[in-house]
Amino acid sequence: MATTANFDSDDEEFYGEMASIGSPKFDTILTGSPLNNGSVPRGFTMLAIGNQGAGMDLFAKQFAAVAEDSENTILVSTAESQAEILSLYKRYDWPTDIMVRTMGEEYNQNVLERDLQASKFRLEGFSMEDIQRLAQTRFVENEVHDYLTDLTSQMTSLPQYFRAAVDNLDFFFARNDTSRVISMLRMIQAHTQLQRGVLLLNVSSDMVDKSVERQLYAICDIVMEFEVGMLGTDFETRMVIRKFRNGPENLKAISFRVTKDEAITPETVDRIA
Amino acid sequence: MMPSAHYQRDRCVTGITGLDEILRGGIPYGSTVLVAGTCGSGKTTLCMEFLTNGARNGEACAHFSATEPSVKLLENVRQFDFFDMRMVDQGLINVFDMDVLFSWLGMTKSTFELSDIDAMVKSITDIVNTIGVTRLVIDSVTTLCYKIPSEQLIRDFLFKLGKALATLGCTALLVSEITSSGAKAYWSSFGVEEAILDGIIVLGDVERMGHLLRFVQVVKMRGTSHARAKYALELTPKGVMLTPMLKWGAVND
Repeated sequence: MATTANFDSDDEEFYGEMASIGSPKFDTILTGSPLNNGSVPRGFTMLAIGNQGAGMDLFAKQFAAVAEDSENTILVSTAESQAEILSLYKRYDWPTDIMVRTMGEEYNQNVLERDLQASKFRLEGFSMEDIQRLAQTRFVENEVHDYLTDLTSQMTSLPQYFRAAVDNLDFFFARNDTSRVISMLRMIQAHTQLQRGVLLLNVSSDMVDKSVERQLYAICDIVMEFEVGMLGTDFETRMVIRKFRNGPENLKAISFRVTKDEAITPETVDRIA
Repeated sequence: MMPSAHYQRDRCVTGITGLDEILRGGIPYGSTVLVAGTCGSGKTTLCMEFLTNGARNGEACAHFSATEPSVKLLENVRQFDFFDMRMVDQGLINVFDMDVLFSWLGMTKSTFELSDIDAMVKSITDIVNTIGVTRLVIDSVTTLCYKIPSEQLIRDFLFKLGKALATLGCTALLVSEITSSGAKAYWSSFGVEEAILDGIIVLGDVERMGHLLRFVQVVKMRGTSHARAKYALELTPKGVMLTPMLKWGAVND
């Protein structure tokens, strides 16, 4: 991995020092002014952590939809299909030409289908056709794919000023040693910092224990906790910014709602402590 | 009760020069026999010749390779006159790679659980039953046993496999890798294989008059009387040849 990077002055001017968090209204709340280009310093890695259903997955798509340059933008989804993501992007009229990698879909095709076939063989046994095919197969096909290495490799080869969202890390924590995932995330974070990218990582709070959570908090420059609760008969959703490197004034609790036009959009602003 | 003087179990004639004489006609049908030996002692060749002789008589045979890729095995065995590649092409000798079988069964972990062992036995017996296999070789059973975490599970595996194959009338040779033929008490790597299985054929090296000779010795064979002497084993282009070994001159006999 390179340790220094040179930036083109035109790119520096085009991308600026700040990037949007995914919604101009959120940017305005965070910077205190609607005139700023964005609220996230370039090179920052953000962590969105919370319960399922708190809006993190939509937030990741919204973050990727900013797409200053579609060729530099990638959304990695571990739970949804290409068709589902495309349908949502069309619904909100977001750009559909960004890179979308659906690792969950790939996993289903490569691993789960094989698992299903294996259970069928275990349960029903082999047919004559299966036996003939088995006797003619000399090598193990489709070695188990290492999706974590794949993710790291893809992320660390993204060009300068990239925008990337990974929804979500649960997939990797469930299938790999925690220390390995953390180690890979450190590499991705270093690349993001060096190449002035902006990266959003989603993780469910019940997927990782406290010590892993602390390590994730240490790696990431911004930590947003997503919460969902009941208020009377309505759901109340809010984002609590717990960490903002070099910007403690940005620690806030922001209630938000999901609208048909703007997706996730803030309602009110509360200052914590 | 005295056994009937006239009754004799049907034999699976190995066709290996000298071995059927030692076994008084061949291996009793449906037996599961351990072929234990040190590296380079001729276990694989003996087993392949056993299968080839069956295939030549029109029997369906199966070879499960766990120690080397079947491509390599077939290339190595092609140099022997007794082997004819057409037997593989015609489906008389069916060669299976165990790692492919494991992959198909989803057995990708480094150790096997009881459910994995059951799946493996079921698959092997399925194959035997579906294509009517009468001769089977697993080379080697030691490689499989390394993945089984306890002696009890190894015992279960061998017992279930032996029982299923016997029910189907399939005579099986299970190759076992041992480190030293000098260890008189053990004929297998785990010590449990020898007690469960019907027979033990040991292959190894013996130094005689300054020469390192290969030998074969039938230590145990249920259902038949047999010689227990060591026989010199020669690997010739025509296959395995056994000749009686004179009793004098052995250093570590």
